Amino acid sequence: MNKKNIRNFCIIAHIDHGKSTIADRLIEYTGALSKREMESQVLDSMDLERERGITIKAQSVRLQYTAKDGETYMLNLIDTPGHVDFTYEVSRSLAACEGALLIVDAAQGIEAQTLANVYLALEHDLEIIPIINKIDLPSADPDRVKQEIEDVIGLDTSNAVLASAKTGEGIPDILERIVEYVPEPQGDDDKPLQALIFDSHFDAYKGVIAYVRVMDGTIKPGMQLKMMATKKTFDVTEVGVFRPHLANVDGLYAGQVGFVAGSIKNVQDVRVGDTITSVENPAAEALPGYRKVTPMVYCGLYPVDTADYDALKDALEKLQLNDASLVFEPETSAALGFGYRCGFLGLLHMDVVQERLEREYKLNLITTAPSVIYHVYKTDGEMIKIDNPSDLPSPQQIDHIDEPYVRASVIVPNDFVGTVMELSQEKRGEFKEITYLDETRVTVVYHLPLSEIIYDYFDRLKSSTRGYASLDYELCGYQTSKLVKLDILLNGDPVDALSVIVHKDKAAQRGRTLAEKLKGIIPRQMFEIPIQAVVGSKVIARETVRAMRKDVLAKCYGGDITRKRKLLEKQKEGKKRMKQVGSVEVPQEAFMAILKIDD
Amino acid sequence: MKLGIYIHIPFCKQKCYYCDFPSYAGKEACQDAYLDALLFEIRKEGRAYQDRIVDTVFFGGGTPSVLPKEALPRIIAALRESFTLADDAEVSAEANPGTVDKEKLTAWREAGIDRISFGVQSFHDSLLRNIGRIHTAEQATDAIKLAREAGFDNINLDLIYGLPSQTVAMLEDDVKRAVSLGIEHISVYGLIVEEDTVLEAMVDEGKVTLPSDEDEEAMYDHVTTHLEDIGYHRYEISNYARDGKVCRHNLKYWQFADYLGLGSAAHSFVAGKRFANERSIDDYIRRMTEEGTARLDDEAETIEELRGEYVFLALRTTEGIDTEDFQKTFGMDFFVQYGDIINRMMTQGLLMRDGRYVRLTKLGMKYGNRVFAQFV
Repeated sequence: MNKKNIRNFCIIAHIDHGKSTIADRLIEYTGALSKREMESQVLDSMDLERERGITIKAQSVRLQYTAKDGETYMLNLIDTPGHVDFTYEVSRSLAACEGALLIVDAAQGIEAQTLANVYLALEHDLEIIPIINKIDLPSADPDRVKQEIEDVIGLDTSNAVLASAKTGEGIPDILERIVEYVPEPQGDDDKPLQALIFDSHFDAYKGVIAYVRVMDGTIKPGMQLKMMATKKTFDVTEVGVFRPHLANVDGLYAGQVGFVAGSIKNVQDVRVGDTITSVENPAAEALPGYRKVTPMVYCGLYPVDTADYDALKDALEKLQLNDASLVFEPETSAALGFGYRCGFLGLLHMDVVQERLEREYKLNLITTAPSVIYHVYKTDGEMIKIDNPSDLPSPQQIDHIDEPYVRASVIVPNDFVGTVMELSQEKRGEFKEITYLDETRVTVVYHLPLSEIIYDYFDRLKSSTRGYASLDYELCGYQTSKLVKLDILLNGDPVDALSVIVHKDKAAQRGRTLAEKLKGIIPRQMFEIPIQAVVGSKVIARETVRAMRKDVLAKCYGGDITRKRKLLEKQKEGKKRMKQVGSVEVPQEAFMAILKIDD
Repeated sequence: MKLGIYIHIPFCKQKCYYCDFPSYAGKEACQDAYLDALLFEIRKEGRAYQDRIVDTVFFGGGTPSVLPKEALPRIIAALRESFTLADDAEVSAEANPGTVDKEKLTAWREAGIDRISFGVQSFHDSLLRNIGRIHTAEQATDAIKLAREAGFDNINLDLIYGLPSQTVAMLEDDVKRAVSLGIEHISVYGLIVEEDTVLEAMVDEGKVTLPSDEDEEAMYDHVTTHLEDIGYHRYEISNYARDGKVCRHNLKYWQFADYLGLGSAAHSFVAGKRFANERSIDDYIRRMTEEGTARLDDEAETIEELRGEYVFLALRTTEGIDTEDFQKTFGMDFFVQYGDIINRMMTQGLLMRDGRYVRLTKLGMKYGNRVFAQFV
């Protein structure tokens, strides 16, 4: 197909603003799938994605559209992940496009993540078409939202489409606007191959399937290709496009979007952002913007039942096939036994992985409190990176500790500015700037320790602003902080899996709340259990789980033994969810207590 | 081969608030039909157990003493006709102090009942009212006197500790008064607030207050030490007997011996199989009349389940598990099978070994469920 009839575009939207439903309507309208084949929200194919209304993995679909000008166009929609954890993936998807639909909820207006992604799109010189969605809502105020888009982003909204994914209104207009405004792709089929990898997935039969946008050159089956960053080579067995199901084609040409499959076993070899070129006639240089994605948040995952250790390993390996950003390595905890230290892009990523392990692989897991990566400068001049509080050297060996900071942008109605600033201040934030989006809404920017964000900043931000605040953040470097290790002792013994690294000034408060929380979670046992929160050798909080006084069965009615046995079996079942830590039985949720403190 | 027989009398004048047993108030109209069905079942089952010698009979409930005085003697007569009762068979009956008189007790004694068990629960009227008992402390004392006069020399009295509003001092007083009556046997149970009982609702609604855990523990400690101090032998977690007058029928439950349950909701354990009858009175009578049986489909137990039961039942007795008997019963070595658990429980001070016996320690008795749960 002629390049002038190709349009590559993506959709930018905040969670819940209707990205997936708009995409569905576009697919439906152009007939890429018959009505019968349409599941609601085709592109979010994981159960979890559908439940949470978020996109975790990028997806793609090619639409065939005959426009009012009588010509048939090939529209490639690249659906992007919609969460701050996946900013880099979003940037690669954007780099594969020439245009973007900016979807904004007609009632809610612009949100922090929308803004962050719009800026990303502008960096990539994408043509942005504003779509004001949900105009069927009684509370819709499209004019206000248009004005906001003009004021805040500086976009001309004269080509904006008023739409409702729910009623289907505006969908044809969107397709026309794409044809009209999104530039046709550039590129030369005959130049050395440069194809951008924007995603990949693992297929049990085909191996790793790379999702690519061909910038220059052509990919055909039988070619030998090379990944320019990882230097891996492979033979192309299939090329194809997304309809949205994979469909083979004879070749992918400059300007086109599709997939490449070869004999690639390891998803780690197919990195998002890398450039594919041909071995025979390689490009002089890779496309710009590649970086290796590194985890920001780590936690320990342990099977409740130690016998599940191998099953956990197996499940993590399977998830990793489709998720190159998930890293893990074996780790041992004195309290929890054998498990894995896992690294994630962020909290949502961690949540998703954990939930998939439990749901899809039926694993019963204990998750330890998430940790960021600390840079620990030792007195001997060495710097070590720590992502597990247990690995922290003794205080005598530490000169100072640096922790990661993020630049956090919060968009909030101006009534809540004070609340946001108070919370950010309390979370050790440094105020950077405040800008007005319009008369009623502002962006507040703070530099905050990442550890505070993953602790409870977002939850508290949401609750203290009645859900109005939206947050976006990006790593902005490391800063020295006064950090200490807070340990928890149960019955006098330290429990490594409950240790956390906290700011010195917050240790006392955290210790108290944590001890109280644990008191509520640990069931009474035969003896009294002291719970102590300590920093170094100093006890900063103490609680006691009183002893269970006795545990005897009631009268046994007329020889009905089965009933008694069943009661005892129930008691035994309850015990299975406990982890024996020294002499104390600790329920699995205790290890998450550190996360879910509402102080 | 010996056999115990349990006979269920599901009638009560009033349902006690804590009770979740299969017993019913206001069903007096069914009594005759129930007795007919029961007598039918006795005659029918008797034919199946010709080779057995019945050495214990236990009338439980419900309240066996709510029936007219000739009811139990009729049942016993039927038992003698249909089964082979040993000359020295123990025949026990439960009684509510509010439903006995001299004539009934005399009739019972003459029919061969030689052990009587009174549900006294407490000697404090205010506590009795709190839990819906129909009798007073005075009636309890009188009933025991009457039983003595009728010739009973093996009397049990049930007490409950942990009752709403009960103090440690009140419990101590209850034990003292029970002992002063000179009875041979005392059963003391901790109150459990069972699901879907009147008591549960009362507790939920805050109408009654249960003793603190500490007080309840003090009550338990008092019962377990004091009764032993004055010569009652604790032969099971909740049961104490003087002069060797243990309840031989109840021991069968704990010693994995065979017993046959007759009447509604009655449970049986014969030749390694557990089975039970219809729980409701009406279903029992109807099925007995129409089908000649009221047996429920038995839930076949696995050998592992049976083994778990053997262990936790035997551990309820102070004698404990006779590991040689275990070996004979299941064809496996107890220590090989449960070595890890035994070691762990011994380290925690809950179990002890004494030659061929493994038994709960004093501490283990107190936390029995924790130990039992290891074996199921």
